[in-house]
Amino acid sequence: MERDTLRRLELLNQLKLTEQQKEDFLCFFDKRMEDFSAIDRIFDTSDVERMVHVMPIMTVVREDEVVKKFDREALQQGAPETDEGYWCVPRVVE
Amino acid sequence: MKIITAKIDCSADKRIAADDMILTSDMPTAAGSRMLDGYMSLFSAEAVTRLADAGYNVAMKADVGEFSVDLIGETSYNGTPAVNGVLVNPACEAVKSGDAVAAISLDVNGAIRRGAAHAGLVCIKPTYGTVSRYGTIPAACSGECVSVTAGSAETVSEVLSVIAGHDDKDGTSLPAEKCEAAAKINAPVKRIGIVKALCEGADEDVQAKLDGFTAKAKAAGIEVIELDGSGLVAARSAWNVLMSAEVCNNVSRYDGVKYGYRAEKFTNLDELYTNSRTEAFGEVIKSVILYGSETLSTDNYMKVYDKSLRVRRIICEIFESFFEDIDALLIPAVSKMAYTEEDVRADKYMAFTENIYTAPASITGLPAVVAGGVQLVGPALSDAALLDAVKRIG
Repeated sequence: MERDTLRRLELLNQLKLTEQQKEDFLCFFDKRMEDFSAIDRIFDTSDVERMVHVMPIMTVVREDEVVKKFDREALQQGAPETDEGYWCVPRVVE
Repeated sequence: MKIITAKIDCSADKRIAADDMILTSDMPTAAGSRMLDGYMSLFSAEAVTRLADAGYNVAMKADVGEFSVDLIGETSYNGTPAVNGVLVNPACEAVKSGDAVAAISLDVNGAIRRGAAHAGLVCIKPTYGTVSRYGTIPAACSGECVSVTAGSAETVSEVLSVIAGHDDKDGTSLPAEKCEAAAKINAPVKRIGIVKALCEGADEDVQAKLDGFTAKAKAAGIEVIELDGSGLVAARSAWNVLMSAEVCNNVSRYDGVKYGYRAEKFTNLDELYTNSRTEAFGEVIKSVILYGSETLSTDNYMKVYDKSLRVRRIICEIFESFFEDIDALLIPAVSKMAYTEEDVRADKYMAFTENIYTAPASITGLPAVVAGGVQLVGPALSDAALLDAVKRIG
């Protein structure tokens, strides 16, 4: 993996790595990709259908009615910063 | 080692430990991450609710590695759980010490199975969909299961019978009749297969465990045959891709706004997100996020992620062909009978090679039972039959 690609990944995932972490990640990435490339020596997957999920899954639906309600105060208990029932973030429009 | 004990004034034989991936409304749940340190959920996981309704007391929370993707718990924000330099899984320690009669854990990447193998406990990762994942912190949703660990197969069966069953709140929950089928011994285990290719990386101690288990199985009247299943080793790299991609997506919700950790220093919203995530996530989970993200990129989606989904089908087909001849597959759960702090200092990503033993059941959703330091993987819904086999083998 090129350094530029790693920088793009950091930006995309809102993360910053230290130089040492970058070295370690590049090593980790190369090992995983090397491990993965071995699959081609074991299987030909070109005609195999993808299996996204091992079991049939369905969308959970329910009647459009209120069954449980948490009040705003409870929902915001874990919030880092709130003000009069709103979540606070830095100004986004200058 | 971190155990948060909340309620100790209850009968010891009803005390259950829940790992830190399972939400409890009366105890914090942090997924071993600084990101969720001190997080209090407004509701409990379905498994916890069912245990409480059945008279059990989920009395303590056991620490996990960050989002439970690691080897045994070593990446926890709270520190590496170890006793005299040997790594331990806190949920297993709670059971082994007698503080809890059983533990429920979210098996994401096999950490609990490895912990149980080391601790000499019995652990089941049930058939995917038989236990509700409602109220668990999502990491690798397509393979993770709520597992049960205890000192005996009887106790595991008892606790599993309480938490298993259809749940409308979980879109991946199997229908009631299938959950009921998993609880019955439809076909007792009479023949076990062993794949040498999957045993080769295990050391002498593990080989001795496999030999001992095989000998006891034969003494219990169970036939043991050797199989060629070298393709199963591919489950690891495919699972590493799928797990990382799913973790990447699932932890994208942690941004320091609505809940969880928020950095102190930032000048704009972008910095708030980046600084919060950078400061709160540990190095291993960051690597998993970035690896998962790259496998989903335009360049790698077809070459890596899509191919992993195809490998999942191939692994399922290999198991299907096995189960025409055998009732369960015997494989190691670990490569060695103890991991040390030195091991993970030398290779902090050891979980991504060591999961060669746990990935086959994770990627296929098949049930796996760890007992006597080894692992039995059975066909879908053979959960009760696997536990029965372990009881018979002793």
